[in-house]
Amino acid sequence: MDGRGGKSVVVVGAGIVGAASAYFLAQSGFRVRLIEAKAPAAAASGAADGAVSVASKRPGPMMTTALAGIALYRQLDEEGLFAGLFKQRPTVMVAEDESEVESLTGHADALAGEGMALRRIEGEALRRYLPDVSSGVRLAIEVGNEGHAIGYEIVRRLIAASGVAVERDTTVHGLVESASGRSVAAVATSRGRVEADHFVIAAGGGSADLIGLSGIVRPRKGQLAVTERSPTLNAALPGALMSCRYLLSKDAIAGAAGTAARRFGLVVDPLRTGQFLIGGTREETADTGNDLAAIRHMLASAVRLLPPLARLRVIRVFSGVRSATRDGLPIIGRMPGRDNLVVATGFEGDGICLGPLVGQAVGRIVAGVPSELDLRPFAPDRFGQRSLVA
Amino acid sequence: MTERQPLRCDVLVIGGGAAGVAAAAELALAGLSVELAEQRDALGGAYHRQPAGRPTAVHARGRRQWSRLVDAFARAGIAPRLRHVFLGLDSDGLAMLDDRAEGRVLVVRPRALVIAVGAIERVLPRPGWQLPGVMTAGGLQMILKEGGSPPPGDILIAGNGPLTIALAADLARLGHPPVALIEAGDPFARPAAALRLAAYPGLVAEAAGHLARVFASPTPWLRGERLTAIEPRNGRLAATIRDRRGATRTLAADLIALHDGIRPNDFGLPANEESDIVVVRAGDCREALGIRAAIADGRHAARQVIALLTQGPSIADDDAVLRQRRAQAVLGDLFRPIDGADPLAALPDETILCRCEGRTFSELRAMLAEGELSPREIRLNGRFGMGLCQGRFCADNVLHLIAAARPGDPAEPPMRLARDRWPARPVSIAALAADDDEQRES
Ligand SMILES: Cc1cc2nc3c(=O)[nH]c(=O)nc-3n(C[C@H](O)[C@H](O)[C@H](O)COP(=O)(O)OP(=O)(O)OC[C@H]3O[C@@H](n4cnc5c(N)ncnc54)[C@H](O)[C@@H]3O)c2cc1C
Ligand SMILES: Cc1cc2nc3c(=O)[nH]c(=O)nc-3n(C[C@H](O)[C@H](O)[C@H](O)COP(=O)(O)OP(=O)(O)OC[C@H]3O[C@@H](n4cnc5c(N)ncnc54)[C@H](O)[C@@H]3O)c2cc1C
Repeated sequence: MDGRGGKSVVVVGAGIVGAASAYFLAQSGFRVRLIEAKAPAAAASGAADGAVSVASKRPGPMMTTALAGIALYRQLDEEGLFAGLFKQRPTVMVAEDESEVESLTGHADALAGEGMALRRIEGEALRRYLPDVSSGVRLAIEVGNEGHAIGYEIVRRLIAASGVAVERDTTVHGLVESASGRSVAAVATSRGRVEADHFVIAAGGGSADLIGLSGIVRPRKGQLAVTERSPTLNAALPGALMSCRYLLSKDAIAGAAGTAARRFGLVVDPLRTGQFLIGGTREETADTGNDLAAIRHMLASAVRLLPPLARLRVIRVFSGVRSATRDGLPIIGRMPGRDNLVVATGFEGDGICLGPLVGQAVGRIVAGVPSELDLRPFAPDRFGQRSLVA
Repeated sequence: MTERQPLRCDVLVIGGGAAGVAAAAELALAGLSVELAEQRDALGGAYHRQPAGRPTAVHARGRRQWSRLVDAFARAGIAPRLRHVFLGLDSDGLAMLDDRAEGRVLVVRPRALVIAVGAIERVLPRPGWQLPGVMTAGGLQMILKEGGSPPPGDILIAGNGPLTIALAADLARLGHPPVALIEAGDPFARPAAALRLAAYPGLVAEAAGHLARVFASPTPWLRGERLTAIEPRNGRLAATIRDRRGATRTLAADLIALHDGIRPNDFGLPANEESDIVVVRAGDCREALGIRAAIADGRHAARQVIALLTQGPSIADDDAVLRQRRAQAVLGDLFRPIDGADPLAALPDETILCRCEGRTFSELRAMLAEGELSPREIRLNGRFGMGLCQGRFCADNVLHLIAAARPGDPAEPPMRLARDRWPARPVSIAALAADDDEQRES
């Protein structure tokens, strides 16, 4: 805390959303305390792919918001805050068979309808554009102006720039009501009560329990693999390669006995380091294990698409847990009935892309400044819960 | 699913050194089905791996013991899976072996796992330790034991502990004595420890044999001295040696073998509490107690596995293992460095700390100055422990420096920096993906 005497805010959770909120709040003069159960980027933000992308979105509020999210990345990159951390590159969606070509074409039309910069690449031009890709690929759609960022690097940069000292290893157990019952007086933490004028819940998968949305946010695990460096192959790929197969919801394998089938969405992302990040699964579980069946299937699909990958070695696999809401949209806004409580959670597979933007929006909500974003589709009260504070 | 079925067995033993072979033979004798995976071309481990048809440094009693063990192993009908690198256990309890000959990953579903992968050699960072021509003593030993002739040119051995003497003796026996053997300790200056060592005549005899070889060779044994820096000079390596009074001088060599003791190996290996698999460690990877304890510890691990699988009574500590633990403590005293100062504290900023990613001391020091970063943040953002070795060779040193920078904090276990996820070693995508023939369907 510094002595500037602004209003105080407690931000719960030092993932990308909490870190960005802390940054923008500190920028506008709030005294910020950032309370984190473990350490910055300890959860989803430290175990994600980092596509800053709308390529896979369908027109709607998420696409509009993601486009604004990308624009903010570009702006913060130019301003220096994200210098060296945001790799600008297109997303290249590819189709292999007739039905994939058809659905990718439909998808591209929808994106074009939103005014996005696309290139349709086929035939000879496709071979020149993607020399290493399997000959089975018949159509590529390049979605421009996208990028990639590593969640934990962004979190670190935001926290350093905010000047806020993260209170690590401090778990928030619950909210303490004010006497009026209309606002929150404090959070109860494993190190005692912390009072403030405002509270922001950005605790990822830990948020729902704190605000009584338990049935509404569900864990959705993803597994990813990282290869060794291969600068040549890396440089020959113009951007992230994304199979459009998931558009057809076609790719799935059986889960372990008694569990639901797991879905795959194949992305091969060439990283700044010369490595490749290969992902990912969507599994209805919160465990963070890595199983061979899933990784093997993912890698086999990746090799089918980009055969030279077979030569590379995998040096790590990891998994993270996304927080998915029942309707697939995040929860951003003031909690009804609690004047000084703002929540931002449920970003599923988009929180890296949206995190900085949402942090900026949270800063405005807390300050009572109108947001440039239309946040109505994300309103916390849309689920019609009776009691929001547990 | 049309996927190949995993191989089933009662026990999968990882490592074909003394501990692994002893455990496997004992388990098979008890009627369990056993598979043994060894990453290299032959059994024997760090000690008993021998070049075909060449004289051996292993003393006669050890040799006999080993050949009896190998006989028992063969009689038990175990066909060791050589060139199979254990990658870890996945979250379904499947053990993955990278079959380097076939280029595919063999999947095993054991009821129990014995991990006997040997110790990790410690090497302290020093300026220049990342240069080509610098290797570990264990690495050089491996070249000799696998039948390669000693590398040409002058060899310098430096570090701490009794194992460097064994290596120097081996080189002398092969007609290629090192130019010098630099030792941070000085057993001659530790008479009390030397007296206590007399209780372990086997060790004394072995050490005397090695030392006699070294003394008979032109190699000087420079005790109480440290190799503090290496730099390239005229196509060779120039090593700075500091003696116990602080005076320095330079020695030239073509190859430098470093060794600062051994530590147990708990990296990248399953700590999979959720799985139902019994996991027992054996030999130097559990506790670095040397070859005498390894066989006994392997057998002990086998009895422990049997007890755990049959819910039998727990197994008491093994006397031979306890004895070697005491012996190792004496050796530790005997070889305690003369210069007791923290060898990492005074290293220059540009010294490489993580060789895989080329990360330096100053980069770590800068991060530590930022505040109470957790080991995970230091790993992810500082890229310490993120390289190909997954922290096996830098985690200890990084954590040591973290602890030194934060006196009073509880020390962090190395696992907080290294990784406990598979693959324990890099594995080719082709091998991992080889058997995917899942039906793609919705
Ligand atoms: C496998 C995978 C791939 C992904 N790929 C992408 C991608 O390509 N592009 C993209 O944009 N997004 C991606 N995402 C999604 C993105 O990672 C998340 O949406 C984003 O990180 C969510 O950030 P957050 O700050 O809301 O939550 P988190 O990062 O989960 O942070 C929440 C923090 O709150 C802390 N916390 C929880 N409970 C408490 C409590 N009670 N008290 C105190 N602290 C608490 C946690 O320890 C944690 O540090 C991916 C996610 C996964 C798992
Ligand atoms: C340079 C040097 C000199 C030594 N000199 C002496 C001496 O003079 N006297 C003495 O008593 N002791 C000596 N030792 C120590 C002695 O070698 C060990 O105590 C002994 O070998 C321990 O046996 P072990 O079976 O536990 O491990 P090891 O002998 O190390 O065997 C482990 C085996 O596991 C295999 N392995 C490792 N990882 C994997 C994996 N992921 N997958 C598959 N296989 C794997 C290795 O290839 C190896 O064969 C020396 C050690 C070194 C390094």
